[in-house]
Amino acid sequence: MKWRLMSDQALRLRSWDDEFVVYNNLSGDTHLLGSAAAQVLLKLQQAPSDAITLAESLASLLRVEMMDESLAPQIENLLADLNALALIEQTRF
Amino acid sequence: MLYADYPLAEQDGFADFHVSLAPPRDLRRWFRPQVQFRFDGYSPFKPLPLDQAFPMFEWGLNWCVSNHANRYLIIHAAVVEKGGYAAILPAPPGSGKSTLCAALVNRGWRLLSDELALIRISDGKLVPIPRPVSLKNASIDIIRNYEPSAVLGRMVADTMKGTVAHMKAPANSVARASEAVRAAWVIFPKYKANAAACLEALPQSRAFMRVAENAFNYSLLGVKGFEALAGLIDVSLCYDFTYSKLDEAIETFAALKPPTP
Repeated sequence: MKWRLMSDQALRLRSWDDEFVVYNNLSGDTHLLGSAAAQVLLKLQQAPSDAITLAESLASLLRVEMMDESLAPQIENLLADLNALALIEQTRF
Repeated sequence: MLYADYPLAEQDGFADFHVSLAPPRDLRRWFRPQVQFRFDGYSPFKPLPLDQAFPMFEWGLNWCVSNHANRYLIIHAAVVEKGGYAAILPAPPGSGKSTLCAALVNRGWRLLSDELALIRISDGKLVPIPRPVSLKNASIDIIRNYEPSAVLGRMVADTMKGTVAHMKAPANSVARASEAVRAAWVIFPKYKANAAACLEALPQSRAFMRVAENAFNYSLLGVKGFEALAGLIDVSLCYDFTYSKLDEAIETFAALKPPTP
């Protein structure tokens, strides 16, 4: 199953040092995010993706070994959190 | 006394707000006089005892601005300026914000506001709204002792904020009320008994979230509010500031370096 940004999500995002602030134009809420969450959003802004592919991209971006078995479940949790914030949603395509 | 330095509006000229204070029309006026704040013909608040007319006037004016001036991002914060750079002091009540603001404007800083930071959406500059500084309870005597020449209005006891008195805004700050200024520092003050003055760098992302929490109309402005606040944080150095002695606080502020462009 793939994930994508919520339809009509404009994704306003600003970063200072290694933290990000994102404005969700759909909910009107503002969230403070770490770099992993922000990178997931930026990847999904380019195209829908699944957790495994996102984990691979992040492993390379964050210079973490993909062999680290904890990364995939962490990405799953991250995606669930972003979904709860109404920033992303699942898609079959 | 507190408004002697302000120019009067022209008769029939444009005004943003039309306000008045008058006794409510009820029987109570004969045995327990009250005062009602009226704004554009209606009364947004319940009446207060007549003795509280002046604080009610000030609170009413703050309400008018914070609820209607939506061409600005409005933060609950004091704002002072020196050398062309503004320090924004956002803080919840009880943090010592107004006391610190009163001390700073008695030591050479220009008063933009002790209560409302107005960030102009179009260019991110801070627009002054210099009015009397609201002091509460122990702060009244602290400022009286700190600057005996400061002009304070009459103390009013038993208000919803305790005993309050207002300090006159410096004439120079009133005269420069049309001079907007760029932001340089966002400083979260916190009075802590017996604490040495301590200025601690605050990550800008954290400062963003805390300023948003202290904004009146951030949510209302939507993406414009987000961009205005991001612009403010981009150009500002952000700090937490703990203090107990005003002299130490003044020294700390005097040593602030403006951000490098």
